[in-house]
Amino acid sequence: MLNRKLKRRQISGSYFVALETCQLLMRVISAARWNNTNQLIEQIRQLGKTLINAQPREFTCGNIIRRVLAIIRDEVYETTENENMTPMISSMFSLLSTNVEKKEPIAPPVPTNPRIHHNKNHDLRSIIIQGIRDLIDEISNIDDGIEAMSVDLIHDNEILLTPTPDSKTVLKFLLKARQKRKFTVLVTECFPNRTSIAHSFAKELSDAKIDTVVIPDSHVFAVMSRVGKVIVGARSVFANGGTVSSAGVAAVAECAKEHKTPVFSVAGLYKLSPTYPFDVENLIEVGNSGKVINFSESNLVQHADITNPLFDYIPPEHIDIYITNMYVFIHPFPVVFWAKFY
Amino acid sequence: MPPKVKKQKEVVKDERLQAIVLTDSFETRFMPLTSVKPRCLLPLANVPLIEYTLEFLAKAGVDEVYLMCSAHADQIQGYIEQSKWNLPWSPFKVNTIMNLESRSVGDAMRDLDNRGLITGDFLLVSGDVVTNIQFDKVMEAHKARKAVDRDHIATMVLTKASSLHRTRSHAEPATFILDKTNNRCLYYQDIPPADGKKDSVSIDPELLDGVDEFVIRNDLIDCHVDICTPHVPQIFQENFDYQYLRRDFVKSTLSSDILKKTLYAYITDDYAARVESWQTYDAISQDILARWAYPICPDSNYLTQQSYSYEAKHIYKEENVILAQSCKIGSCTAIGSNTIIGDGTYIENSVIGKNCKIGNNITIKNSYIWDNAIIEDNSKLSYSIVANGAKIGNNTILENGSVIGFDVVISNDKTIGKDTRISSEPVERNDQSFANTSDEDEDDEEDDESTHAIQSKIDHQAIVGINGVGYVYESEIEDSDDEFAKPVNSLMYSLGELTLSDDSITSVTQTKQKKKRTMSTTSYHTDMEYEEEEDFDKEAVATVQRAIAENHDLDTALLELNTLRMSMNVTYHEVRLATSTALISKVDEFIISGTLQIKEAIYKLFKHWGNLYKRQAFDQEEEIDLLEILKDLTLTKDYGKQALFHIISVLYDSEIIDEDSILIWWKNAKENYENEYVLKFIDWLEEAEEDSSDEE
Repeated sequence: MLNRKLKRRQISGSYFVALETCQLLMRVISAARWNNTNQLIEQIRQLGKTLINAQPREFTCGNIIRRVLAIIRDEVYETTENENMTPMISSMFSLLSTNVEKKEPIAPPVPTNPRIHHNKNHDLRSIIIQGIRDLIDEISNIDDGIEAMSVDLIHDNEILLTPTPDSKTVLKFLLKARQKRKFTVLVTECFPNRTSIAHSFAKELSDAKIDTVVIPDSHVFAVMSRVGKVIVGARSVFANGGTVSSAGVAAVAECAKEHKTPVFSVAGLYKLSPTYPFDVENLIEVGNSGKVINFSESNLVQHADITNPLFDYIPPEHIDIYITNMYVFIHPFPVVFWAKFY
Repeated sequence: MPPKVKKQKEVVKDERLQAIVLTDSFETRFMPLTSVKPRCLLPLANVPLIEYTLEFLAKAGVDEVYLMCSAHADQIQGYIEQSKWNLPWSPFKVNTIMNLESRSVGDAMRDLDNRGLITGDFLLVSGDVVTNIQFDKVMEAHKARKAVDRDHIATMVLTKASSLHRTRSHAEPATFILDKTNNRCLYYQDIPPADGKKDSVSIDPELLDGVDEFVIRNDLIDCHVDICTPHVPQIFQENFDYQYLRRDFVKSTLSSDILKKTLYAYITDDYAARVESWQTYDAISQDILARWAYPICPDSNYLTQQSYSYEAKHIYKEENVILAQSCKIGSCTAIGSNTIIGDGTYIENSVIGKNCKIGNNITIKNSYIWDNAIIEDNSKLSYSIVANGAKIGNNTILENGSVIGFDVVISNDKTIGKDTRISSEPVERNDQSFANTSDEDEDDEEDDESTHAIQSKIDHQAIVGINGVGYVYESEIEDSDDEFAKPVNSLMYSLGELTLSDDSITSVTQTKQKKKRTMSTTSYHTDMEYEEEEDFDKEAVATVQRAIAENHDLDTALLELNTLRMSMNVTYHEVRLATSTALISKVDEFIISGTLQIKEAIYKLFKHWGNLYKRQAFDQEEEIDLLEILKDLTLTKDYGKQALFHIISVLYDSEIIDEDSILIWWKNAKENYENEYVLKFIDWLEEAEEDSSDEE
């Protein structure tokens, strides 16, 4: 079960989690039995709850579930509207069903006639599954949409800084921009959790003939005055615009603020969460202390408290522009933009 | 279905990856708690130990898990049946194997071999491992080495640490000697617990032949995660005196010239450790809380009903924890659901279970309080363990290293001294007299009748208080280990001292194991009822006979005889007697069945097995004694005289008995004994002597 794998961290990275969640939902919806849509919605909700509890800091999982619920509700809304029209076409079955409906007006979308009901469920099922398929397509093509905007946002000979080398979206964004522009990228080292990723990221950029400089995390403030834009790959963006990203990003954003350097948050639509970050501390996952200092250093292990947060929360005022695969928007109330997806 | 598992399956290819979990440690370090619950079900950070092992196996992509259960097997089985591992979507199938009669790892391995479950390389872990190692890498390394070295039979996973690391076992430290280039394990040396005395490792130079560079490492945590080939259980089968995986198996496999098998070590930077003593229990709990073993941490909520969430400073709380406003929770603390903590209480570096009631103004430091425990006001706990359902009264002080067992009640105003272990019932089987508490209690381990340690001399009531319920547990080896207790005490680790009071149960019951095995050579599965008053003769005779029948090597047979001798506390005379009896009866067999003539039979047997005497008769007196024994034994046989002659000549030829002994013996013996064959031999001897002296 996905639930367990999330717990074991066998799946990580929002992209994979999103896809896995979609697959799971597809399977659940095709296998589930339900009599009315409310039941289905309830089932999906329960599933969502367990998944979210399994790994409360993997926000995309919740986002996908909410998106799917939105799809279901949408469809239900449409079909109920159609339903109300069906009695006009007089057939034996529909007559029967309307009669029943009149008797029990409390549950209007529940036709008791088994055949119609079955057909309808069947239709609904396939519609929902189609909806999820579209969602999967959207997720897997998300980078294309973001890439398309890169040329407009990056100028020639600009110096960019990215503190999130683990973001595939950022990588593609930069590679795409390279086709038309020539620029320099500074990559922070991201000690201790992503140092090796940072190095391979830099390697890939330099292979694409982008001038790449790897800088230590402590160096960010010093170089900030020369940086034209900071590009941050987001792990999740919340309703208030606050962003959760890799550890170290908050410090970079703070520096950027100080130098009035614009900060771009790059995120696929599926990372936009309708929830509001009330408890910031709870959003941050704390990782393996062994990465900070070696476990074999027994004295330190015994006597020092060592924490290794994996993520950072970046308050909304530190981010200037959000780039998604569909829209580019600026700070206040981003939730307005994506409320319609949920 | 999910991509990750598929990937691992590709690594494993066609064969399914099996894992053997040894749920029993065959040790008594966690007594008296393990008299009620098996070690692998004891909670570590509020999760039974076995869960960590199974999680690891799940992550490793194991397909089949076999739990080898012996002590409290029913409990383990019951637990597994109700756990999530028994659900249809469990990542692997868990089978529990009951082998109630196992008394050591060796027994379990032999049982495993007898059952023939193993199809390919398998993962051998003990049921108390906590690790986050990336197993696919280990497996890859194992396969790569196997491709290069055909004799490769096992890969041991070792973690880097330092020699006095808290998570490193102070009870079973060991030195590994590894080939620097490819991590081949050359030698293994266990160091006696709490050492300080043994400061050298002797290595046979032959072992280092052809090795360019080697490293001696005393800084590794041996977490007992091994990938073994099917040869391993077979080796255990062949060498039925092996009890320990490391001390016996690894060591003798490496030093054996015959086997020519190699073992490799895989050294990882990831976290891997074994809960094998209170010291490591404490250390690993702290490691888990401080997220060294990430993603193994309380907020992973391995049990379905758990709901831990993380807060800064490594504090974990479940739902419905009630904290008084003025209580302080320090770093590295986990608190289970429905626990109530009173005013002014201070807790740090501790784990508190579910439904506990912690009163006011209590200080809890580095302590582990399991579910449903009650601690009343103004008590102080440091480096202690309070097991499920225990109750501790007002103003009670638990000093470092105290262990309060299941359902023990301690009344008000008591001080529990250092390293005191209290259980709610005396750990024993026979004595039913619970009423007279201050009486002498017999301390029996499981069905361990041989170790009668007289407990008592301690007024139990005085320790637990007037309304208290509890008996002090004393381990029978405590005294002998006392001398060791000091050095480890200074190892700056307080719970460390707890480990030292017990040795492993196997060393105590060794005698019986020997006995058991000899009696059940044909069927290991029969649950044996054996008597204490087994006489040595029978045992030893059987041992030698079996050695001959199964053609063991000489060293093994000797080792066995020696163990028997020491455990039964008999002299070499008996050993010689037994050996001779066995050999002669074998000769008998040959002659009766007509397969061999007297001479051939004796030559065949004594040529090889006569060497046993080399280690049984050391000086002239003993050699004479041996001859006397042989004479007595052959006396009754109709072909005896002839036989004796042959035996003596063989023994003489192989320089086991020198001629002086023979001559002296003959001088004494000839008065009441007639043997023309021997007479001839003596004559010949005397002549030969004269000749040689003439020549000179």
